[in-house]
Amino acid sequence: MKGKNARHLKTAILYFLMIVCTIVAFAPILWMTVSAFKPEGEILSYPPQWVPLEPTWANFAYVLKNFNFLRWTFNSVVAAVVATIIVIFIDSMAAFAFAKMKFKGNAVLYAVVLSMLMVPIQVTIVPLYLMFSSVKLLNTIPALILPTAGNVTGVFILTNFFKSVPRDLMDAAIVDGAGSFRIWWSIMLPLARPSISAVAIITFMSNWTNFLWPLVSVSSDASRTLPVGVAQFFGGQSGVSGSAPQYGPAMAAALMATIPAIAIFLFLQRYFVKGIMMTGIKG
Amino acid sequence: MTQIIIHLKVGEVMNGKKQHYRIIPYIFLIPYFFAFITFRFGPSIAGFFVSLTRWNIVGQAKFVGFQNFIDLFEDPNFIKSLTNTLYFMLLTVPALVIGGLLIAMLVDQKLRGRYVTRTFVFMPYVIMSTVVGVIWMWIFDTHFGILNYYLSFFGIKPIAWLSSINWAMPAVAIATIWWTIGFNMILFLAGLQDIPNELKEAARIDGASSWQVFWNVTFPLLSPTTIVVVMLTLINTFQVFAQVYVMTGGGPAMATLTVVQYMYVQSFQYYRLGYGSAIAYIVFIFLVGLILVERSILKKSGDIN
Repeated sequence: MKGKNARHLKTAILYFLMIVCTIVAFAPILWMTVSAFKPEGEILSYPPQWVPLEPTWANFAYVLKNFNFLRWTFNSVVAAVVATIIVIFIDSMAAFAFAKMKFKGNAVLYAVVLSMLMVPIQVTIVPLYLMFSSVKLLNTIPALILPTAGNVTGVFILTNFFKSVPRDLMDAAIVDGAGSFRIWWSIMLPLARPSISAVAIITFMSNWTNFLWPLVSVSSDASRTLPVGVAQFFGGQSGVSGSAPQYGPAMAAALMATIPAIAIFLFLQRYFVKGIMMTGIKG
Repeated sequence: MTQIIIHLKVGEVMNGKKQHYRIIPYIFLIPYFFAFITFRFGPSIAGFFVSLTRWNIVGQAKFVGFQNFIDLFEDPNFIKSLTNTLYFMLLTVPALVIGGLLIAMLVDQKLRGRYVTRTFVFMPYVIMSTVVGVIWMWIFDTHFGILNYYLSFFGIKPIAWLSSINWAMPAVAIATIWWTIGFNMILFLAGLQDIPNELKEAARIDGASSWQVFWNVTFPLLSPTTIVVVMLTLINTFQVFAQVYVMTGGGPAMATLTVVQYMYVQSFQYYRLGYGSAIAYIVFIFLVGLILVERSILKKSGDIN
């Protein structure tokens, strides 16, 4: 009887901890959402209220009217989508060659690619800046896309996957007269769909959230991406100093920048998790 | 019989297209390698050469050898950024690793609603870094922030989180832990689910307590995951930048200036490209050092086994 009570108590504690974790994780997101709908007077009222008394769209209207928000969103979406498509094509081609073809230098080239996993992206920023500046591509969308195309993780994940594809499948296709491109396109790519989804999500998210390079490569407001745009709202060195921070519009902007990512995450949760495991396991 | 024929045919095709076959792999590699060399490999090497120069963007680059690296270690601001970054890591890494493991163990239990908790704990990770900064600036606001409001219930006077030298870094650390702990939880969860249940059951039948099962069965079997999580967390926290850029701009009085941020400031605000590149290469040296340590630890544990 006592054992049963102890077990009930343990279960109750575990549930309590789970609820605490959920609340702590979600509260800031909820607080951002609630604040975004509060009129200016209400947001600085004390004590803070979790429900807006007079919910309003004014903050959203303010952001859209006074900032190039839609333009930033457009830039971010285009850059992330195009970069993802490029990465899937060129990485899966290279990975197919690395995993399934015999050629001189295979191991060496692959080792050179993987060695870049050790080199942090920061060391490339100054040379990239000089390069894009010399070809007059700073402040353009290609500047936001191209550096992502040189990524390493995608090739790594897809090579590992293609290595696991049985040789027989390819041999059968060769017998049927399929060339390398046919094999890549109609056998390898469909087989790799789960891995490609994971690579797509990783690439999309890393481009979507990338900050340092877009901050450096883009100085005109019209070419900004969302992360850089949102950073301008207020803050240490980037904000308009001296003026009181406008939390309402900032939260509205933050919410608008967050909703697409959370929506994608909720729909594609499975692939997010898979992507993380694949990148995590690389060690 | 068919087997043999197929093999013959494959052999034929392979041999017949031998020349063909030699070129094709490179055709598959060219698009990627063009991007890789131009945007990743080339710049990484070039960065090293830039770090050996004194180069203000307008003037000529002047070769100075390792002078930038020597100067760095006599630059009090760089030393400050380095100690700040290590302090940030001290605040975040243990919390992210131990906290991530504990949450993973919690949501690994067969409890109703565990999937909901997993989803919510991971959710902040998909928010972009600067948005995380903006959200937490509001939460940390000294006079109207919700955190100080709840702390006042415990008789704590309003803390000037982001504008006080003592609290700015812990504040950035809190935001970062909230933002990234879900990532570690997922990795640990995957590791925990790879451990066969029979092993834990067997230990329990032998009379081991929950603590003993964890310490003697779960934790040792989880160590490959733990190593990966520790490494990734160290690497990511050493590169902290965006949160600090948004929340404090490195202030107050450089209390939150980090290494990557100092690299940004030197390279793109003072346009000291050589000096900035040298700082970037310090990040690289740190990573290589970490990996060497990891290798030696792995080798040692391998020897024991």
